[in-house]
Amino acid sequence: MQRVFVNIPSNPIFERVVRASAAELGQAVGLQPERIEDLKLAVSEAINNAIDHGNPQQQHKLIEVTFLLDTEKIEVRISDQGQGVGRVDFSRKVVEEQNLESGMHRGFGMYLISALVDDCEINSSQSGTTLTLRLYYHKDTTP
Amino acid sequence: MSDAVIRREEFGDVVVLHITTTSIDAVSATAIEAACVNMRPITVLDFADVAFINSAGISALLKFVVSARKSGFKLFATHVSLHHQKIFKMVEMSRFMPSIEDQDLATYR
Repeated sequence: MQRVFVNIPSNPIFERVVRASAAELGQAVGLQPERIEDLKLAVSEAINNAIDHGNPQQQHKLIEVTFLLDTEKIEVRISDQGQGVGRVDFSRKVVEEQNLESGMHRGFGMYLISALVDDCEINSSQSGTTLTLRLYYHKDTTP
Repeated sequence: MSDAVIRREEFGDVVVLHITTTSIDAVSATAIEAACVNMRPITVLDFADVAFINSAGISALLKFVVSARKSGFKLFATHVSLHHQKIFKMVEMSRFMPSIEDQDLATYR
């Protein structure tokens, strides 16, 4: 297994750094282009979630990202230094007519993550939350 | 600021807003939203140069949806990649911002 570590301050500009890393690593393990796009978006949502809800307004706190590459999957662990979360809602969220006027347009992130990766899990405690994403190579790669 | 992410092209009742940033995300969302001005009866968002959109970006784009609906204008998307078509369909964004093809847009010129 190979590990790649990327730690970023809690600032949205650095989400792009992690996203670019995900793209490079997805390409390196032979994911198909569409799966790389899925990985990029899932990682992006997870990072933004960690910034917005894990370490809110605390840019000095780090988001720690670990990519683990093995022969069957790419796994991404995104950890914040927040105070933990309760129940996380991965249910389907869509643009709803009644919410357009109110500006309540967020909340797609966790749904997109769960829909785009093969599996995901959350481990949360009072010292932080780790979201783990996995994409299996299936038939579309040459690891 | 908005000039940095949107280039306007107008003809008749149409404005085509060519999005010039490659990422519609939390970083560019504010500039995208700021470009949501002076819409026309037919407003087209051109995604030809857009390589990435996340949920923060979708939220910014929804400002165009809300503005168009308030004005009774039609809002379309063009040159949307297959991946982004999939994402728009997943969150049902495509219901509020259907795609328009070049040949259909050409009839307005």
